[in-house]
Amino acid sequence: MTLSRLLRHETILAVLTVIALIVLASLSDKFFTTENLLNQGRLMSEVGLVALAMTFVIVTGGIDLSVGSILGLTAILLGVFWKNLGLPLPAAIALAMLCGTFAGWVNGYIITRFNVPALIATLATLALYRGLAEGISQARSVRGYPEWFFFFGQGEVLGVPFQLWLLGIATVIAAVVLGLTPFGRATYAIGANETAARFSGIRVNATKLWIYSAAGFLSALAAVVFVSRVTTTRSDMGTGLELDVITGVVLGGTSIFGGRGTIIGTVLGLILIQALKNGLALSGVKGDGTIVVIGLVLIGAILVGALFDKNRGG
Amino acid sequence: MTVEASPAPLGRSAFQRFIGGYGQEIVVFLSIVFLFIVVGAINPRFLSDTNINSIFAGNAYIAVAAIGMSMIIIAGHIDVSVGALIGVIATIAGTLAVSGYPVWVAWTVPVLFSIVVNGLVGALVAYTRIPSIVVTLGMLSILKGGLISATAGAWISDMPPEFMIAQMRPFGIPSAVYFMVILTIIASLFIRYTDFGRSIYAVGGNMEAARAAGINPERTVVGVFALHGFFAGIAGILFATQLQVIQSTVPPNLELTVITASVIGGVSILGGTGTVIGSTLAAILFACIGSALIFLNVSAYWLRAVLGLMILATVLADMARRRRAK
Amino acid sequence: MGSGTQNSDSAGGDGATSGFLPIELRAVSKSFAGIKVVSNVSFDIRPGEVHALMGENGAGKSTMIKIMAGLHQADEGDILVNGKVVKFASPKDAHAAGIATVHQELLLFPELTVAENIFLGQTPKTAMGLIDWQAMRVRARDLLNSLDSHDLDIDQKVASLSVGNRQRIEIARALAQDARVLIMDEPTAALAEADVQRLMAIVRNLCARGVAIVYVSHRMPEIFALANRVTVLRDGQHVATKPVSEVDEAKLVSMMVGRSIDRLYPPKQGENGNVALELRKVSFGKVVRDISFSLRYGEILGLAGLVGSGRTETALTIFGITPPTSGDILVDGKPQVISSPEAARDLGIAYVPEDRGQQGLIKAQSIEDNIALANLRRLMRGIFVDAARVTEEARKAITRFGIRARGPEQLVRQLSGGNQQKVVLGKWLATNPRILIMDEPTRGIDVGAKAEIHQLMRKLAGEGMAILMISSELPEVLGMSDRVLVMGGGRVVAEFDKAHATAEAVGAEMTRSDARDAA
Repeated sequence: MTLSRLLRHETILAVLTVIALIVLASLSDKFFTTENLLNQGRLMSEVGLVALAMTFVIVTGGIDLSVGSILGLTAILLGVFWKNLGLPLPAAIALAMLCGTFAGWVNGYIITRFNVPALIATLATLALYRGLAEGISQARSVRGYPEWFFFFGQGEVLGVPFQLWLLGIATVIAAVVLGLTPFGRATYAIGANETAARFSGIRVNATKLWIYSAAGFLSALAAVVFVSRVTTTRSDMGTGLELDVITGVVLGGTSIFGGRGTIIGTVLGLILIQALKNGLALSGVKGDGTIVVIGLVLIGAILVGALFDKNRGG
Repeated sequence: MTVEASPAPLGRSAFQRFIGGYGQEIVVFLSIVFLFIVVGAINPRFLSDTNINSIFAGNAYIAVAAIGMSMIIIAGHIDVSVGALIGVIATIAGTLAVSGYPVWVAWTVPVLFSIVVNGLVGALVAYTRIPSIVVTLGMLSILKGGLISATAGAWISDMPPEFMIAQMRPFGIPSAVYFMVILTIIASLFIRYTDFGRSIYAVGGNMEAARAAGINPERTVVGVFALHGFFAGIAGILFATQLQVIQSTVPPNLELTVITASVIGGVSILGGTGTVIGSTLAAILFACIGSALIFLNVSAYWLRAVLGLMILATVLADMARRRRAK
Repeated sequence: MGSGTQNSDSAGGDGATSGFLPIELRAVSKSFAGIKVVSNVSFDIRPGEVHALMGENGAGKSTMIKIMAGLHQADEGDILVNGKVVKFASPKDAHAAGIATVHQELLLFPELTVAENIFLGQTPKTAMGLIDWQAMRVRARDLLNSLDSHDLDIDQKVASLSVGNRQRIEIARALAQDARVLIMDEPTAALAEADVQRLMAIVRNLCARGVAIVYVSHRMPEIFALANRVTVLRDGQHVATKPVSEVDEAKLVSMMVGRSIDRLYPPKQGENGNVALELRKVSFGKVVRDISFSLRYGEILGLAGLVGSGRTETALTIFGITPPTSGDILVDGKPQVISSPEAARDLGIAYVPEDRGQQGLIKAQSIEDNIALANLRRLMRGIFVDAARVTEEARKAITRFGIRARGPEQLVRQLSGGNQQKVVLGKWLATNPRILIMDEPTRGIDVGAKAEIHQLMRKLAGEGMAILMISSELPEVLGMSDRVLVMGGGRVVAEFDKAHATAEAVGAEMTRSDARDAA
């Protein structure tokens, strides 16, 4: 795959994003303000963190529907470890994140060890993890976190929201790993032709386990940011997150069939979606109505991608 | 070559074929019976008319939706938008009913809408080769967003009594139960005794072999999605009319419950095998488990975790069975 | 045995008899991507005959079969059924003309019953137009009984059946369609001996009913036991169509090969060195059984045998894809546990697989990406893949192997078969292996590229590399190998040194029916 070929989708997307930003800015003078943009970045961070891992997952030809449930489960565990078990908050955070990462590893284990299609395995764990969150919490929320904890979701460093720094650093790491390391090469190879990858000495199962574990880890990290931002823990946190994440990744040019995709594309896809949501809201479209646009954009983007593929005679 | 007209057995006996063809269904059925006996023994109120009524009638719409879902999964696809679709259908039906349209219009228009929408989804899936999970994820978003932005989640109430079809009780049994039973039987006969029904299995089992046998896989997929739309439409009407009010939002996690019913009822997630009787039984089983948790004083909040474990166990068993068959 | 054949002449199709012929081909040609794979081929099939279609791999047999089955359309020439010119746009049209195919990959529905698999697409109906399951079961039973398959359970799911049984179901399926011509593509390739005997009985039974069989097989004993006439193809050309009574095995081989073998293959250079690889009673399940042999540096060891004899499975076991369930593998005299391809590579073992498209290459990626894939650890700077060195490595391979490509960044799927194979070779030779396993190294490659790869193999062996070569082409095995092992039924059944490895001797061991289930 040549660089120009890879970047073509990203270029189109970048142009689209810029156009969207210009149009939205002209529709509402509230849109293009530093305050609004930073706030949108804050709102984007949780989806963004998970989308980075999801890019790897989808590039291998898999999918992870359980990320929203892992987020919910981690949030609940964080609250339970701290409030009910009386652990110090930093320990509770660490332990909850460990559990979230383990949940991701379990996905990978089921997929690699038993050859269960990722779609079905993570559909089952979507129910299981959310069910655990509901069962453990008994639908009771946890509040009253100490002040310092809200820094993760509400604090700023050098005038930029903390979680945007987090997202930025994670993005750079993800982009470097996917683009420049043997691990990234293995990820693409698995998605493009798993058998050939295995026959070339790539450790296919180990790579997949790492990737699904990373999806668990980043979902858990997003959970911490989420809880800190909204100052409370509820078992329904992150419901439907997988849709936003997958939409962003696929819109960013990652092929749902695997083998193709970039972190830059995913970030552009996320920005475009967030800009559309925000812009439409500012222009008076009612809150949840904006997800219609996301659905249309998702189907449209893949349709165009599929037609391109056909023309190339893939 | 002469063919002996001997009375030698043709193949397996009807009983053997029943056990062989409906293994998973029998397991689910026995689980239901087991639950009734055990939970009934611990807490006899579990067996009260009111409770049994609520188990069956209250969940009939899930069973009806699972009929269509089973066909989709047998054909090798999936639909994660069915919950949103049922919400939309219920809202359209309720709105038509309170706006003074004749009851039959309020019943049929949403069902037709559902058939058309799913037919289009099927066409996208069949002819563009975009995986059904992606198309229906997109549909989920469109339907959900469309519903909320159109209604802001408002409640619909004061629907005319003659509209409330799920609450009618011919011969003392809730009509929702009639729908569940009759549609399950018709669908079972349909997929067993018609060419189209068998082509669903063929396409889900081996697409290339289906094409070689003269089946048009694309047309079959579109047809299956349209059929699924029909059952989702009926489910939506039952859902709309079982309570006095309709909340015009998407019922949470309904798609998951429906898919789970199909999978636990014996429909293999890899396509090509399963029945609709199984999914109906599985829908009843969930309702029983949900109700049993309450009667056993276990928090109902554990229900979903139980469902998740059940899907996982069923899928792993299916994978193990396939590996053995190889 | 089948009905008597009419007088046979060397080529098919004089107008006088063609009116009765279930299928006749006249001057058929077919090209793919500008390369003629079938050129001006004519022959006919007569009712009740077994017509063997023979030729080396790449001779055009499978293309001919696909044209008759309606999967491909001929570019030139005519297909006649009952004397009338027909056009098959799809397999459906061929079915309607009474032509059915038993595919090598057996197109069945694993989750449906035997009875339904036989009738799907043309199920018996009741008066109400519904599927009549009872009638279907009765007819399935009758059909299977008429094929002497009383033991097949019509209510069983196909998933749990053996290959031989599945094949019988496909044959029953063809009969249910009232086929007049049945094309069988290497029907015995994956069968155990008992099933081969049953299949031959079924074929005779079908001929007796007037069904014509187009029988593609490499196995001489079957050809002489079953066939009435044989058509030989070579390099897409029609060599001859003759009654089997007029040919013998040697003549058939020379018609198929059409050239002297030795001259085409480069001679051995240098002497053998120490033992590089040794297998001691290595087994993997039931497909690889107690294999023992040793391979020396500088040696090319040929592994001959029919498809399904366990050759590829042995290679996969050495390479760590399916690690041995018992026995020892020694590299340089030391026992090694090879549990993954990665481990094999680190021991200096390379495997150029049989299925280039699926196992060897990532076709959607570039030449350099493919070559880098097995060499990532070597091509790093710090923790990163060194893109410059990847490109340089690919450049070297392009020069060294004469890969005809625009450059390292060209996508592999745009290359020809021969150049693709060179990319696979380049990928593996870049790992600096000392033991090279080549599985069907020249399958589907044109003659020129074939010779280049043979030269290369010789050169590598001359430089001291130990090469294990698996090939289904007897001339290649004989021409390239310093020593030949013949496999059957997962075991090594015979060994020949260069001097004794003749086509007759090796061929006889390969096709010897008892080789497959030998104790």
